[in-house]
Amino acid sequence: MKEYILLMFSAALVNNVILGRFLGLCPTMGVTTRLDAAVGMGMATTFVMTVSALAGWTVNTLLLVPFDLGYLRTITFILIIASTVQFTEMVVKKVSPLLFQLLGIYLPLITTNCAVLGIALLLVDARMSIISSVLFAIGSAMGFSLVLVIFAGLRERLAVMDVPRLFAGPPIAFIVVSLLALAFMGFSGMGAS
Amino acid sequence: MDNFADSTADFSAPTMVEGIAQVVKIDGRTAWLVPEQGSSCGSCASASACGSKGIGTTASRLDNRRFRIDNDVNLAVGERVVFGIRDHVLLKASITAYVIPLATLLLAGVLAQWQFGSDLVTLGAMIAGLVIGLGISRMEAGRLHNKGDLVPQFLRRARPGETCSS
Repeated sequence: MKEYILLMFSAALVNNVILGRFLGLCPTMGVTTRLDAAVGMGMATTFVMTVSALAGWTVNTLLLVPFDLGYLRTITFILIIASTVQFTEMVVKKVSPLLFQLLGIYLPLITTNCAVLGIALLLVDARMSIISSVLFAIGSAMGFSLVLVIFAGLRERLAVMDVPRLFAGPPIAFIVVSLLALAFMGFSGMGAS
Repeated sequence: MDNFADSTADFSAPTMVEGIAQVVKIDGRTAWLVPEQGSSCGSCASASACGSKGIGTTASRLDNRRFRIDNDVNLAVGERVVFGIRDHVLLKASITAYVIPLATLLLAGVLAQWQFGSDLVTLGAMIAGLVIGLGISRMEAGRLHNKGDLVPQFLRRARPGETCSS
């Protein structure tokens, strides 16, 4: 149990997908202008990343490895992620059309989120078991959501600050996210005994 | 020190998330609306692939996002209105749609791994957990819908030229 907790903690904070691996920077800048949008995007990404990791592990273990089709891995995973997003969209629409109205806007954007593909490929390279893969994916997605929410909160405050004209807009946002990355580097010094 | 904001500035989030929609149909005392997109959406680099806009056709997915409100203020087709959704609704909707299925998926997977220790059994349990979770989500969404928690509310008629960002 301890190793699973450490795995999730490591994926969420120490090797944070945005600030440690520098993946998924587009949604980090694009949907963090409002806190509610960041929460919606974070949760949708968590769902898609976890289901993609599950589907990716299954296809890789049962199809690509036994038939020696490793060279098709990247394109297969892209297809899996696109299918997962489409599946999620259909399910949310079926579960509740009203939920689809509220949350549907974020789903197509996840198809082009490199963090989802990056995590799926990392899991295969690490040869994890299925439970470790899913926990790692959930941990990574929680770290992704955490940074989106923190950054959205900071940007909501930045919007009402009197920032020098030269730094207004994206420049000050990039400076803030770099300071956030420095803060997250502090987690890499932590050890478990 | 002039560059620093007043320390008494109000950072609290607005209580409603507002959006602009156009009335496309009047059906008795019900008005059907289609939400408008922000001006930056169409010019985004991913616009051609983005589901919020559609693949270059007018029959876009916005039509799928059509919603209805009670027409108590005599709205007419073509009018633009400002509607609002309570700020906690998005969080509640996200939890209903995503967190419940994920929680059941994870719970089923952990239990199966603990009991059987086999990857294939765990895979089957996770898929079953996901399906069960989606069923629970559907029931919860129905409950929220019946309570009226997810329904957008009419706030006012939009001013000429008013956009989401103005």
